[in-house]
Amino acid sequence: MRALGQTLGVGGDSSPLDLVCASASMRTGALLEQALPEPVRERLEGLAATLPDLFGTLDPTCLDRIAERLGGEPGDATFTEILLLSDKSLHVIQPFAGQPGVALVAECPASTSIGLVLSAIRSRVMDSEGR
Amino acid sequence: MSVERESSRMLPSIPAGPGLISAVLRLLAFVDDLPKGATGVLRFGESGVILLESRKICWAVARCMRLRLTDILRNQSTPPLPREAVEEIYRRCKIDGMPIGEALVLSGLVTEAGLRVALFKHNGEAIAHLAGTGLSPDAFVTHGRTGYDPKFSFSPCEVLAMLGSLDDPARALAAQIELTNTLVPDSFGVAFVRGNSVSGALLIAVDRGCDLPVGDLVEVCNWVAGLFDVAHTFDPEASLVRATWGGHLALVSWRAKEIVYVGLCASRAAAARLVSRLETSAKSSGVIAAAARYGGPA
Repeated sequence: MRALGQTLGVGGDSSPLDLVCASASMRTGALLEQALPEPVRERLEGLAATLPDLFGTLDPTCLDRIAERLGGEPGDATFTEILLLSDKSLHVIQPFAGQPGVALVAECPASTSIGLVLSAIRSRVMDSEGR
Repeated sequence: MSVERESSRMLPSIPAGPGLISAVLRLLAFVDDLPKGATGVLRFGESGVILLESRKICWAVARCMRLRLTDILRNQSTPPLPREAVEEIYRRCKIDGMPIGEALVLSGLVTEAGLRVALFKHNGEAIAHLAGTGLSPDAFVTHGRTGYDPKFSFSPCEVLAMLGSLDDPARALAAQIELTNTLVPDSFGVAFVRGNSVSGALLIAVDRGCDLPVGDLVEVCNWVAGLFDVAHTFDPEASLVRATWGGHLALVSWRAKEIVYVGLCASRAAAARLVSRLETSAKSSGVIAAAARYGGPA
């Protein structure tokens, strides 16, 4: 299992993605890795701090009812991925399926291909969970 | 453009203040709580009634209303429809039991779109008045069928958005057009602003496919508003959000100026199409250019 807090490249691609990621507590909003390089910490701290506001503030029964109206199955009323985009950055939050209360937070420049970023993040989450 | 100018028609006798919106929200939540196919009359003692068909509002009347539907219909035309012609149709309707609005459409005096606007206005005003009385419904009497055409009925969230639109009808119309032009099949949506008149989200437009309970809709909008608020702390320019849940469902939200839009998508494909459509409108509506890059595996 690799350390999370590093700049990622994608196999075969000589240019790095400039994607930084780390695990964070969804309850406290704190980054969970002590040894993060300072530049990585700076890029992710703000995003991680929002986790308690993003998760647990929306009534799960409300999401369930919406799922029902959309033809989905009720019972899985937690966001599994949140993306935030601006002209400057792409931020991604992906809760770990195997570690309740912990999410991967990631950030990269907006010029990066989103598909590539999501693939890299999902691969990193699976890697971190030993899947 | 098929968008009816429902939002642009003012209801001058209704002040859309915070108290009124809260009271309307409570009343409409009561309608939402009725069984799915609820058809019948919701009675408010001597103060008025709301007629429902399949939990949609097809007629509402409050005792203290100033305008009658026929007045609204007559004054929607320039010059106003001749009173005698309208009254003749009204008399016939009293005999054969046909709803007056539909008889006017059949007569050619009023278009379907015009009737829908007039009914929206009339029912909205009635509901605002009923909510303003502070009374709760005292009975719901089930009917087999009310006889109203579903084309001329309104979901509770449409009524809520119509009342929210009164703050700024032009803004609400722009939001309605944006929703109509942007939403894709398998999605429905809503537009809201952070109003001065209410705490939290003020719904100003919904597309006609949206039939979520008003309480859930407001809750989701408040969550999205909070999301943009907290995102502001680390990326003030964040303008597009996609959140997925339940395996294939997605919420896509974007903002343009002061208006925030929320699209709820029944599939990942619908979410991808919705964001892709934002690409087209990015240049003209002010949605961030980042939306234009969206693509790839989702």
